[in-house]
Amino acid sequence: MDSILPIQDSLKVLVADDIQTSRLELMRLVRDLGHEAIEAASGEEALRLIDVHYPDVLLLDLLMPGMDGFEVARSVRRHVTGKWLPVIVLSALQGDEHFAHALASGAADCLLKPVSPSILRAKLRQYQRILDMQVKLALMAQRQHAIHEHIADAIITIDAHGRVCELNRAARALFALEDGLDTSGMEFTALTGMELNQLLSGSEVGLGPSHQPKIPFSQSHNRWSMGHQEFCTIALHDLSESRRIERMKDEFLATVSHELRTPLTSILGALGLLAVGAGGTLPSAALELLQVAKRNGDRLNKLIDDVLDLTKLEGNRMELNLRPVELAPLIRDALTANSTYAQRGLVSLVFEDDARSCRVEIDPDRFLQVMANLLSNAIKHSPKGKTVRVLLQQRPNEVQVDVVDEGPGIDPAFKNKMFEKFSQADASDRRAVSGTGLGLYITRILVNKMGGTVTAESGVTGGSTFSVCLPRLDSAGGGPWILCVAQDRSLQERLADWLEELGGVDVANNLAGAEALIKRRGLPAVLLANPQAKGSANDFCNRLKHMLAPQRVILVSDSVNSAFAARYGMGWLSAAKTTRLEVMGRVKGIVEQSE
Amino acid sequence: MELFERVMCIEDDPDIRTILDFSLGRMGGFKLSLCESGLQALECVESFKPQMVLLDVMMPGMSGPETLPKLRELSVMQGVPIVFLTAKAMQDELAALLELAPTGIIVKPFDPVLLPQSIREFWEAGRGQSS
Repeated sequence: MDSILPIQDSLKVLVADDIQTSRLELMRLVRDLGHEAIEAASGEEALRLIDVHYPDVLLLDLLMPGMDGFEVARSVRRHVTGKWLPVIVLSALQGDEHFAHALASGAADCLLKPVSPSILRAKLRQYQRILDMQVKLALMAQRQHAIHEHIADAIITIDAHGRVCELNRAARALFALEDGLDTSGMEFTALTGMELNQLLSGSEVGLGPSHQPKIPFSQSHNRWSMGHQEFCTIALHDLSESRRIERMKDEFLATVSHELRTPLTSILGALGLLAVGAGGTLPSAALELLQVAKRNGDRLNKLIDDVLDLTKLEGNRMELNLRPVELAPLIRDALTANSTYAQRGLVSLVFEDDARSCRVEIDPDRFLQVMANLLSNAIKHSPKGKTVRVLLQQRPNEVQVDVVDEGPGIDPAFKNKMFEKFSQADASDRRAVSGTGLGLYITRILVNKMGGTVTAESGVTGGSTFSVCLPRLDSAGGGPWILCVAQDRSLQERLADWLEELGGVDVANNLAGAEALIKRRGLPAVLLANPQAKGSANDFCNRLKHMLAPQRVILVSDSVNSAFAARYGMGWLSAAKTTRLEVMGRVKGIVEQSE
Repeated sequence: MELFERVMCIEDDPDIRTILDFSLGRMGGFKLSLCESGLQALECVESFKPQMVLLDVMMPGMSGPETLPKLRELSVMQGVPIVFLTAKAMQDELAALLELAPTGIIVKPFDPVLLPQSIREFWEAGRGQSS
């Protein structure tokens, strides 16, 4: 491949023969066929001229004094490596042995002397075709190689044993390898300093020569095979430049946000002060106009927040601080934070908590933001005097938070795009509804990032329900399902707390709640129940008996005693005196027995 | 019982200084020292003896975060709460400000009607603490 000849019509033929007449005759034949002929009077001269003229074909007499044709053929095979030089040996000798010998020595072909012009023509044409093809292949390979070499991304190809087959220029530069260095067979791990699987598992990796700061790269790879051999080609794209641009964008946005908020602080501050009479009492018409200005200033401020969030979210650069939290208190915080807004719109906020422990892994601040978006949306669309309800429902694997309003419901035409960017229900909406058009979009992205989903439904008779579903932390499918039925919230919490490490614990306020849960997810391994008064305990236990086998039930109550429980075949513990260890021991016992 | 009446505000934007004057001075009833730079504040602090300092973050010349340690070095500032006033609400930037352990951070735009009450709360929470 080192010396690539342009494709040509005629061949350069070196004619090596010690007998002058026969040599000249051959050269004449060659020239008559339109090719170029170069003469060599001995084997030694032929070898020397190969390096001078780079012939395409060698016509070689076998019997020569000094270096004979066999030796020349062997030498050509050994030394002429840059490109293939077909050697056609000539002999007047009868029989096949010497031809066979010559072919074994490296000759490509043979011709009987005296040479028939038509045979020579056919053979030379054949070799011309083959040589043409070779040149084309070589050019193609060279082009492919050059493209591979000059791709800006680092390209590494390794075999099934994790050894390097090929590195392009960018890859060699990445690992600071010298240009001439033979890298084939080098261990991938030694080269990159990381395991192959580790590199292939993430979409982003930090790489570079050892002892130098790592450069961020995005990674993509393909496995392929040639014959029975398997390879993997990895492309690494340098992210430093896009990171730099992202940083610049962040800085720009931070500056813009600062520059926008500073005048807004004065505008909103002045308006706020005017509204409370800091500039003297204003007539009601002026106050009304003031409220318009203030409301829209607030809206502008929210828009700045949303745009900043959006750029972070879309650039995948918002880091969520995910941690396990109890959901209900967080929802109460969200309601408190939005109560002023609700009061202003004469809308009541109600939280319908089912009072069971419910842990999820979320970013609390961002969840509050999600709730603020959904609540303000619901309040905004609620007529005066109506109620916005928040429901917390638990399912075996997920928790659903519903925000239900009594507003006009969702326009079917808007429903499909409501979680998209800058979408807002038609402005022809009867109410003056302000918003940035980004809230629901940000809500959806935030919820998705926390592993959940958000959906919206319109009620049949109006009103809409926005539901956020989040994966439950304590379901995990591990351990038996334990159900606690108690009206007393502190007992409920105590039991749920104690039993949490044994399996999935759900709580219900009463038997109806328990029945609903059982209907949804089947029978619990153990049911702990707290019948309230002795009078109603009989009914309570009779109902329980129909729900599941009594040996799986433990009554946790001071209204009844162990003898009472035994009559129903149930276990008993004192609600006031029992300890964590005792409860765990009894529940474990029942679980083990049923296994 | 110590009466809370002297507040120093360090803010380069004159309009925001006006808002602070209305909010804390005329409506809140505080005695104010309104400074337009950290340097000016350092000059006034000995004579004014603030009981609380509101400190803007982004200021030309000496920024809020640069001013804060210089104020804290002064004996007259011992135990005086310093609260940052910032338009930067990006989370990572807030985190960087919290590293300087201010008594609190008030994010712009703030509500001038509620401001007197919030700085009273900050003062109650932060006063007397060694910095």
